[in-house]
Amino acid sequence: MDLTLDDEQEALRTATADWCRAHMPLEEARSRPTGLWGDLEAMGWTGMTAPGMDLDHATEAVVFSELGRVLAPIGLISTTVARRWFADGFDGKVALALPAEEPSDMRVLDPDGSHAALIWTASGLRLFDMPNDRTHAPTIDLSTDQSRQQWTTSVSTEDAAAPLHLQLLAAAYAVGCADAARDMAADYARLRQQFERPIGWFQALKHICSDMAVRAAVARSQLYYAACSLDARDTDAAFHIAAAKRLGDQAALDNGRANIQVHGGIGMTDEASPHLCLKRAHLLQFIAPADAALLLEGAA
Amino acid sequence: MDIGFSVEETRFREECRDWLHANVPAEKRPLDAADAIGFDKAWQRRLFDAGWAGINWPADYGGRGLSIVQQVIWLEEYAKAHAPWIGANFVGINHGGPTLILNASEEQKAYHLPRILKGEAIWCQGFSEPGAGSDLAGIKTRGRIEGDELVVNGSKIWTSFAHVADWQELVLRTEEGSQRHAGLSWAICDMHAPGITVRPIKKMSGQTEFAEVFYDDVRIPLSNVVGGLGNGWKVAMSTLSFERGTGFIAEQVKAGQEIAELVTTARANGMIKDDRIADQLSQMRAEVAALRAMTYRNISEVVRTGQPGPEASVIRLFTSELGQRLERMAVLLMGEDMIDFAYGDDNAVQDYLRGFAATIAGGTAQIQRDIIGERLLGLPKSR
Ligand SMILES: Cc1cc2nc3c(=O)[nH]c(=O)nc-3n(C[C@H](O)[C@H](O)[C@H](O)COP(=O)(O)OP(=O)(O)OC[C@H]3O[C@@H](n4cnc5c(N)ncnc54)[C@H](O)[C@@H]3O)c2cc1C
Repeated sequence: MDLTLDDEQEALRTATADWCRAHMPLEEARSRPTGLWGDLEAMGWTGMTAPGMDLDHATEAVVFSELGRVLAPIGLISTTVARRWFADGFDGKVALALPAEEPSDMRVLDPDGSHAALIWTASGLRLFDMPNDRTHAPTIDLSTDQSRQQWTTSVSTEDAAAPLHLQLLAAAYAVGCADAARDMAADYARLRQQFERPIGWFQALKHICSDMAVRAAVARSQLYYAACSLDARDTDAAFHIAAAKRLGDQAALDNGRANIQVHGGIGMTDEASPHLCLKRAHLLQFIAPADAALLLEGAA
Repeated sequence: MDIGFSVEETRFREECRDWLHANVPAEKRPLDAADAIGFDKAWQRRLFDAGWAGINWPADYGGRGLSIVQQVIWLEEYAKAHAPWIGANFVGINHGGPTLILNASEEQKAYHLPRILKGEAIWCQGFSEPGAGSDLAGIKTRGRIEGDELVVNGSKIWTSFAHVADWQELVLRTEEGSQRHAGLSWAICDMHAPGITVRPIKKMSGQTEFAEVFYDDVRIPLSNVVGGLGNGWKVAMSTLSFERGTGFIAEQVKAGQEIAELVTTARANGMIKDDRIADQLSQMRAEVAALRAMTYRNISEVVRTGQPGPEASVIRLFTSELGQRLERMAVLLMGEDMIDFAYGDDNAVQDYLRGFAATIAGGTAQIQRDIIGERLLGLPKSR
């Protein structure tokens, strides 16, 4: 039993964080440079658990929580999962479709440059061809576009671990998002002065920040446990990953809101960054959501 | 990262399970300290005779000297077997004893440690005072040095098990005119000494477990001071590092058992159909799982680095508040039967009322939030 990062994981985590800070900072989430996708592919994150690679889901979860922290493109999740579960023909970027019932249109997130879309259901994944002539519309998350897509021919996998993989990476994004809001709030609370002292001196503010730290720590712990349970193909993996998604989603949303309160007026402007975390958190709620009935059943 | 246990660890788990299965007493531990004291001493003796006393104490002092992972396994199995709380032995085993191990002289250790392990000597902790709670440095109880003795006057309050205790870890002011953290000493006080009066205090649950203690010219030999005169604050704080994150394993396993029972109850009485109840239950299932994950993470941090991670302070706050949410849910699921509660009942209402202690005793939730904000997030100190 060991839920700490080993040296290799720590090195990978630091390298990811450094790269993100330099090339993909959170503050610029709404206007990513063209060509970013190529850089992301080159960094190898989408192939971490692809056949032939030796990395486990625990390592992947660590890295994806770093990517989630800067509100990295949603397409990284779907592309990485597609790489792992669909053997050939999908080398490029894969967009992420939200769960939908046939025949109503699918809502596809991050369609830009994608030739395929991955749709998640609790029982399996399907991968669709995407036509090129789509119009993109914005979403509440200013870093994510969407398009509508009809049900076309698809390939699917029924492997029970496949949808869990996607849910795990979405949970990792949520944990990163919760961390980002916590750090932004704590940084501001140390700097901003009112009544001749940093606002973080006031317990009313300090305790809001402490609760953000609690939510983030709780969600991250469950994320690591869940990732290990998937690596071990544990019979309780579905429960643990659902728990990680639920706690991650909640931490992202609650921390997203709290961060705005900590910032006061500037916090609710378009210009400042807090709303970016909150809006990403709202989007994540719809990606591979945790099944309440499964949570109620608990682990064996 | 991995969540499995080694072959030896699994074998050890079976050993724990077998012994507990054959030895956990069938009768329930009585609620009041005065009624439970015989039970507590007998159970501690049984643990000692079988080699399970002081599992985290070094073998040199009669403990089991188990690795931290083995401690986790033992505590998990202990809770799973519904073994009784160690009750009146709690302070000696988890607090007084460890403080002695870290700070006391060889004579002090040789005399006291075996008695604690065998359940022969009951300890209590005399830190809080009417005027010194969250602000512990406000301690006023004083000990005047007269020859080779301290002459003690003052009072302590909320002292758990004071009325059944033989010894007390007493933190008092031994330097006249000293302020705050300076001038305090940590002394071993004989609870049977002349001049000590104990007034038991009843809790709102009806349970009598803690007490107020008055000192009227109580004489304590200077040789009972631990860690040197004037070093009381340092000695008192040293114990905090002894447990290193195993302190909440029992609560965490209990939380797992409780949430499972709550879901079963809510299904049986139909209250699960209330969406809010179903939602809270599924939320708590996830939280209970995360609590274990967080504890495992902290334990593995200790194994790797010898120190708990910075997030250890989070575990304590989260455990206490999750425990209270579970207790509130249990009472909610009782429906109107909860109003039948009477003193002496040992049921969900008892747990609920007693459970308010979780966010008060040993550092309130507000103080915990200060600690998290200041140590984990680097916010400026408010106090
Ligand atoms: C069941 C139980 C068993 C106990 N057993 C023992 C024992 O064996 N030995 C022992 O020595 N003590 C014991 N205690 C005492 C316990 O440690 C104290 O109750 C605790 O430290 C709080 O102190 P207080 O009760 O004086 O409350 P106070 O410190 O007066 O606090 C009152 C309220 O004010 C808040 N508050 C205080 N200071 C601040 C601040 N700076 N910022 C924000 N809020 C603040 C608190 O959070 C609380 O809500 C026990 C208590 C309980 C409930």
